[in-house]
Amino acid sequence: MVDTFNLPDVGEGLTEAEVVSWRVAVGDTVAVNDIVVEIETAKSLVELPVPFAGEVRELVVAEGETVEVGSPLIRIRAEGAGDDEDDEDDGAESATSAAGAGPGDGAGEPTSAAAASSSGSSAGSSAGSSAGASSDSGALIGSGPKADAPRRRPRTRHADLGLVDDSDLPPMPAPAGAPAGAAGQPRHGRDLAEMVAKASPPVRALAKRLGVAVWELVGSGREGQVTRDDVERRAQQKKAAPGEIPAEPTTPPEPTFNGKLRPEAEREERITVRGVRKATAANVTDMAQNVPHVSVFKEIDVSRTMEVRAALRQDPSYEGLSVSPMLFAAKAIIWAARRNPQINSSWHESHYVLKNYVNLGIAAATPRGLVVPVIHEAQTFSTRGLAAAITQLTVDAREGRTTPAEMQGGTLSITNIGPLGLDGGTPILPPGQSAIVALGQVRKKPWVVDGQVVPRDVMTIGGSFDHRLIDGEHAGRFITDVGSVLEEPGLLID
Amino acid sequence: MDGGRNQSATGEEHAVQPIQLLAPDGTLTEDETYTPYVEALDESTLRDLYRSMVVERRVDAEATSLQRQGQLALWVQALGQEGAQAGTVTALRETDMIFPTYREHVMALHRGITPQQLLTQFRATAHSGWRPQDHRFNTYGIVLASQMLHATGWAMGAQRDAAAGDEAAREELVLACFGDGASSQGDVHESMVFASSYELPVLFFVQNNQWAISVPATTQSRGPLADRAAGYGFEGVRVDGNDVLASYAVAARMAEQVRGGGPKLIESVTYRMGAHTTADDPTKYRTADEVEEWGAKDPVARYSLWLRGRGLIDDAFVDAVEAEAKDLAADLRRSIHELTPVTLEENFDTVYAEPHRQIEVEKAWLRDYEAGFAEDSAAGGKGDA
Repeated sequence: MVDTFNLPDVGEGLTEAEVVSWRVAVGDTVAVNDIVVEIETAKSLVELPVPFAGEVRELVVAEGETVEVGSPLIRIRAEGAGDDEDDEDDGAESATSAAGAGPGDGAGEPTSAAAASSSGSSAGSSAGSSAGASSDSGALIGSGPKADAPRRRPRTRHADLGLVDDSDLPPMPAPAGAPAGAAGQPRHGRDLAEMVAKASPPVRALAKRLGVAVWELVGSGREGQVTRDDVERRAQQKKAAPGEIPAEPTTPPEPTFNGKLRPEAEREERITVRGVRKATAANVTDMAQNVPHVSVFKEIDVSRTMEVRAALRQDPSYEGLSVSPMLFAAKAIIWAARRNPQINSSWHESHYVLKNYVNLGIAAATPRGLVVPVIHEAQTFSTRGLAAAITQLTVDAREGRTTPAEMQGGTLSITNIGPLGLDGGTPILPPGQSAIVALGQVRKKPWVVDGQVVPRDVMTIGGSFDHRLIDGEHAGRFITDVGSVLEEPGLLID
Repeated sequence: MDGGRNQSATGEEHAVQPIQLLAPDGTLTEDETYTPYVEALDESTLRDLYRSMVVERRVDAEATSLQRQGQLALWVQALGQEGAQAGTVTALRETDMIFPTYREHVMALHRGITPQQLLTQFRATAHSGWRPQDHRFNTYGIVLASQMLHATGWAMGAQRDAAAGDEAAREELVLACFGDGASSQGDVHESMVFASSYELPVLFFVQNNQWAISVPATTQSRGPLADRAAGYGFEGVRVDGNDVLASYAVAARMAEQVRGGGPKLIESVTYRMGAHTTADDPTKYRTADEVEEWGAKDPVARYSLWLRGRGLIDDAFVDAVEAEAKDLAADLRRSIHELTPVTLEENFDTVYAEPHRQIEVEKAWLRDYEAGFAEDSAAGGKGDA
């Protein structure tokens, strides 16, 4: 038989540890309590004594590797035991299933292991986090005793309160206008409920005096305490409507699964706002509060652009470069900005500044959050140069290498929401800019060409503008110009 | 006692040298006050002192391994403090009530608590593995210094029993154990104030093992802890806790005076050779040199030397004790799995000494509540799949 020693929780509530060094090798013979491995936990370096005697069959975890509590560390073949594969399988299985159950849970029985991991994860995958000690199998599974696994079985009924023999006690005065529901309820049951109800002695005394059953009340006080007001209100109600039957206390809805959206997560998670998220929050709050935004949209046929794109993709000089609809949109935006100077500008209360250059910001979703790197002097780039710049910038942004300088000085921005499957949106302007263009998804749609409905590549473009200096007319003309170029990329040929 | 200063890293700059009879090299010195107590000990008691230290040390090591193997949530080693505990508990009567911290394993075993019972709490299967009255040994006090108030309160009860004519209570002594770390707790102050005011039969026993987790004893107290007794108006004595004979003699003398008299304090100067608990890493705050220095003062080694020199023990005896300890450890390893968690109902039964109506009500309610789940599973496991 092969025994498996799993990583125990050697501290108080540790979840993982790194294997620092093995003191034994495969083939060595060990005795119970021989030190076999040194591990490093969040707290300390710890030498682990092995709970089995025999021959080392396998060191499961390599030095330097970090594993979760409950994961197998080492397998030992008992002295004089057979060595067939079945034995080994049995050992591994018992370790896995036992790890899923808590002490006293019938650890080692596959059913209880499955019950303990009813949240949907397999017994194997839950082994690390919900490891418990086997209490009856005799196998040391190496994961400290834990609290019982939380019960997930639904309650089928409320506790019957008519349990306590209190016949030795003097009868309690029947509450005036006692609820009919209480008629069938044994007297002592109510008595118990009164004990369970949360009410201070003076409130209980008041309730008694007014003939109100404390247990009927839903406490409005702190932590559901029944207050003086609750009692008086109930007394008033009873006076107004004698014989009224209070509703049975309703059963709270049974939680589905473990009652969480994501079974593995905490009920609520508190996430500290920092870094990109913090900067984003500050920027959008400032802009949303201080800049009156206006948005416009336009649906356009970009089939010709897609043809050009297909052609460029075949062009060896574009090899390795991203030839996306965004490249053409960028070219179109630069072209349109030349014709609509008001768009490429910044507002300064007493004046506004028209920019005779385009520092094109490109909003990019990165693992760190939203960043808007900038292609400076974008108007000077050839189409290929722009493709190279966009490619480089997106790669840098995704890998988190965008430098702060690369995010400064934008005059006009693009946000590409097409990859998200979206058509339109109303983005918030980046600080210091007056226009941001949103690019929707390119998709085949029925389109009327020369009186015929034909499938065409269609895209919605739009965006948000600083309404203080960009009127609807400005925004409209600009978006229409951008659309014209995307509909007829030949316009780009100067 | 001389007033010379002996500077070292571990608290011995305190002016008063602890009382020592047995030196680390196994030589016994004469002391006018304390030697008579040792001379009065019979041979079997002298051998039992050795046995209780060695057996506990083996159990302690097994428990540490079991924790490292995931069988205990926590373990608290007594390694290095066996002499202090064995000497002191031997000086008491079996009827004296002991209020331990969570490290008095030698005392617990001496009072007939089994290793399995000792580990119960550390395996988290029950709040305590024994009933205090069965062994005149209270449950382990995990909350630092809480046991001090219990001890003083117990002694107040004994005093009242005595006043009511209970002869046994007149002779009763209460041992209040604490550590150098707990000495900074307010509870210790309060317990000493009350013990002094009411002249209660409390023997305060602080094992100064030099480290309160990572805080050195010299930070906790600039002077000897024993000196604090003077502030409360009773006597305090420092003893070498690694000297089991001095520990016995000092406790025996103090106990005589406490019985029917007032409180006394013993500061037992010893050293925690292991970690504070298995969740602690002492290498982070103390040096290997320091540990080595104290290792040379080991209580078992020096006592063994002396016993052999006197011809009180031989190889056969030592081997027999080793074998006994080994068996006990092996039994412990086998039986650890048999510890079953205490039922919630049992918890209700140990809240009050006498039947209590509210507890009965709540117990009945719980029984019914639990039964609600049983019905569900009997219904064919109709879970929400």
